[in-house]
Amino acid sequence: MNTTAPETVVRLDGVTKRFGATTALDDVTLTVDRGEIVVLLGLSGSGKSTLLRHLDGLELPTSGSVEVLGEAVPALSGRRLRGLRSRVGFIFQQFELVPSLTVLENVLTGSLASVRGPRLGLWSYAKARRLAALGHLDRVGLLDRAYQRADTLSGGQQQRVAIARALMQNPSVLLADEPVASLDPESSDQVMALIREIAADEGLTVICSLHQVDLAISWADRIVGLRHGGVVLDLPTQDLTKTQVMEIYGRVATTTAELRAVQDELLVADAEPAR
Amino acid sequence: MTTTVDRPRVAPALASLAERAPKRPVSPERIAAGLTLVALVAVSIAALGEVDISIPDMIASWGNAERFFVRVGALSFPEPAELAWLVALTLGLVLTGTLLAAVLSVPIAYLAASNTTPGNGWRAAARFAGVLARSLPDVVLAMVFVLMFSLGALPGILAIGIHSIGMISKMFADAIEQIDEGPRLAIRAAGGSRTQEFFSGILPQVLPSWVATVLHRNDINLRGSVVLGYVGVAGLGLEMSYAFKSLNYGLGLGIALVIFVLCVVMEIVSSVVRAWMLGRAGDRRTWADRLIGRRVTRKGLVDAAASGIPSAGASWAQSPRSALRRPWTAERARNVVAGWVAVAVVVAGVWVCQINWGDFLTFWAKLPAVAVQFWPPTFGVYGPEVMFEALRETVAIALAATLLALVPSLLLGSFAARNVASGAGVRGTARFALVGIRGIPEIILAIVLIVITGLGMQAGTIALAVGGVGLLGKLIADSFEEVDRGPERALFATGATRLQVYAGATLPQGGRALIGHSFYLLDTNIRAATILGVVGGGGVGYYLLNASQGANYGMVTAIVLMILVTVLIVEGIAMWMRKVFR
Repeated sequence: MNTTAPETVVRLDGVTKRFGATTALDDVTLTVDRGEIVVLLGLSGSGKSTLLRHLDGLELPTSGSVEVLGEAVPALSGRRLRGLRSRVGFIFQQFELVPSLTVLENVLTGSLASVRGPRLGLWSYAKARRLAALGHLDRVGLLDRAYQRADTLSGGQQQRVAIARALMQNPSVLLADEPVASLDPESSDQVMALIREIAADEGLTVICSLHQVDLAISWADRIVGLRHGGVVLDLPTQDLTKTQVMEIYGRVATTTAELRAVQDELLVADAEPAR
Repeated sequence: MTTTVDRPRVAPALASLAERAPKRPVSPERIAAGLTLVALVAVSIAALGEVDISIPDMIASWGNAERFFVRVGALSFPEPAELAWLVALTLGLVLTGTLLAAVLSVPIAYLAASNTTPGNGWRAAARFAGVLARSLPDVVLAMVFVLMFSLGALPGILAIGIHSIGMISKMFADAIEQIDEGPRLAIRAAGGSRTQEFFSGILPQVLPSWVATVLHRNDINLRGSVVLGYVGVAGLGLEMSYAFKSLNYGLGLGIALVIFVLCVVMEIVSSVVRAWMLGRAGDRRTWADRLIGRRVTRKGLVDAAASGIPSAGASWAQSPRSALRRPWTAERARNVVAGWVAVAVVVAGVWVCQINWGDFLTFWAKLPAVAVQFWPPTFGVYGPEVMFEALRETVAIALAATLLALVPSLLLGSFAARNVASGAGVRGTARFALVGIRGIPEIILAIVLIVITGLGMQAGTIALAVGGVGLLGKLIADSFEEVDRGPERALFATGATRLQVYAGATLPQGGRALIGHSFYLLDTNIRAATILGVVGGGGVGYYLLNASQGANYGMVTAIVLMILVTVLIVEGIAMWMRKVFR
C-alpha cells in the first residue's frame, strides 16, 4: 500500500467474539498508532491470543469492526487477505517452525506471500531472496545455523529464527503471542530485547501479549490489560506511579485471594504520603 | 472378555455397599458388537471344521510331497541373462505401479484428511474412493486391463496403481491428520496460499512417513505381483505360471525360490531405508510407522543433528553473501547421494517396463467396445447356487485362516515384545521368526503347497494362516511394547510373577488393539482368499479366472460385484468393531 499510511495502524471497535457459549472477547475497543510498542497483559484465557488472531484475520469477530493498516480485516478474503497478512508479522509461543526443514528454508517461507505458486526446497527460491533471508538470520545472530534442521536448535534460537521469518515479510506490524512463555529466563531476555531492537530499527508497530506484569512494565511503551475478554486497563508505562503499578496487578489478577492481597497493598500505598 | 460384568468380591455384610455401588453402564452398541464378535468366532470355528484341516490328511499329503519332489528332480532356473531381465522387469513394474498409486493418492489423501479437506462431502467421497480401490483386488483389475491393453507390463502397473490407492491414500491421510498444525498456521499467518501451506507446511512434515508407506506398499505389491503373472502380466509370475502349466515343476519352484529371495531382500532394503528416513524425522510415531517398522531410535535423530552442526565461526558463515553457498557436510552429501539414487531407481524402473505409451491412445478407442461386453452381469452356465457356494467357500477360508493365525500370533507376538519377553534372546528369536514369516509371499506359499500336496482349500487356508501370523504377530508385539509401563511396574512392585504381570497389566492394555488388529487381518484375508482361487486354492477366484479366460465378461462383472459387496461388508464390520472396542 502507500507509504503515507494513516497514523492509526490498528483500530478495533466494539469487537465481540464468541466460541459457542463462551465469550472470548467482550466489546473490545482499542486503537494502536504507528510505532507504538504495546503489551496485551492478562492471564491465560483473558482473550489476548484471540485478539491478536483477529488482527491477522485468523479469526473473524462475531460483531464489531477490525481495521488493520486501513483495511477492514473481516471483509478481506483470498489474495487481499494474504496481502494484508504479509504486511503483518506473527510470532507464536511455540515458534511453529517446520521441524524437518532447514533454518534457512523456514525463514524463506516468510516470503511466500510475495511469490506465485508453491515452493519446496532451498533452490526453489531466487538467489536474491536467499541472500535476504541469510541477512535476516545474520541479524538475529544465527547465520552459522542456516543449513541445520530447525528442530536441532534450542527454544530461544528457534524463536529467533521465527523472528527472522517474520522479518522476511517486510512487515509494518509485528504481532507476538506470548513469545517467551516457552523459554528460559535468559533466552527470554534475549528474544524480548531483540524484538525491541528490531522494532526501533524498522519503525515497526508491535503488539505483544504477555502474562508477566513485571516484564510488561519494563518492556512496553503502553500496557493494555485484558480480563475475561474485556479491556480493563490502558496505560502508558512511562512515569508509572506505585499506585498505578498496583492497579495493574489488581486489574489483571484473577483469584479473589490474589485480588484481596493486592487491594490490601493498595490501601497501604494510599495511606503513604504522595511521593 | 471385556463385556463380562465384574463380580463384586464383598462379604454378605457389605451387601449394601454392593447395592450402593454404581452399576457398570453397558451400551446397546457394545452388546451388539460383542454378540457379533461371538457369532463371528462361532462361524470361524465352523469354517475351520469345513475346511477340514486334519493332521492325518496333512501327513498323508506329505507322502505326496515326497513323491512329488522325487519326480521334480532338481530345481532349475532360467538363463542368467533372462533371469536378470525378469527380475528387473518385475521390480520395475511393481515400483512403477506403486509410484503411480502414490501420485494418485496425494489428492485423495488431501481431500480425505479432516484438517485439509474442503468439506465433509469431499471427505466422504475421497474415503469411499479409497475403500473402493482397496476392495477391487489387483488381480481382478489386471484381468480387466489385460483385455483392454496389449499384454505386457502396463496392465500390471495400472492394476497395482489403482488397487494400492486404497491403502496408500488412507495412510497418507492419517499422516496429514497427525501433523503439527502450528507451522502450517504460521505460513497462513505470513500470507501463504492454501497450496503454499500444503507444500511448505504439511509436505515436509509428512514426507518421511509417506516415503515409508510407499516402501511398505512396494513390499506388499512385490509379494502380490506373482499372481498377476497368472492373469497374463509380464514378469517372474508369468514365467512361473507357464512353468507349472507345462508341468515343468523344477523350473516353477526355482522361480518361486527367486521370488522369495527377492521379497526378503526387498524387505531388508526397504526397512533400512525406512529406518534412515524415519530416524531423520525424529521419533514421532503413527500407527502406520508401527505397521512398518520399529527401528526408529533417538540415536538416529541425534546423529543427524550432530553431523549437521558446523563448527562455530565457520568460514562460510562470515557474511550472508558467503553463506549463500551451502557448506558440504556428511549429512548433506548423504542426502544428495540418496536423492540421486532414488531418482535413478525410479527412472530405471519406469524404463525397464517399456511401456507402450501408444496404448493410452488406442485404449480410449477400445473402451466402449470392451465396456459393453461387461454388461449385463450374469452367472452364465453355473447359476447363482454354484457361485454363492464358491463365495461362501472363500469367506470360510478367510475366517478359518484368521482363526488359525490368532493363537500362534499371540504367542509369538508376546515373546517378541520387549516388555514381555524374558530376555533379549527370546525376543530376538521371536522377532526374527516374524520377519522370516512375513518375507514369504502368501501366494507363493499357497502355490507351492497346492502343487506339492495337491490339496486346494486346505493348502490355501494354511498359506493365509502362516502369512497372517507374520502380520498379526508383529502388530501384537508392537502394541504390547507401546502399553503404559506404569501398571506393569506397579504389579511387579506388589510381588507379582512375570506371567501375572502379563495377564494383569500388559494384556488388558494391549488387548484392545488385538481386536482391531484381528479384524484388519480378516479384512486382508478376505481379499487374499478371492485371489487364492486364481492359483487353484478354491473359492470364487477359480470361476473368476475361468470367466476371464473364457471371455465371459458378464460373468466377470457378476463375480467382481459379489467380491466387492463381500469385501465392503467385512470392511464395514471391521470398522465398526474397531470403533466400538477401541
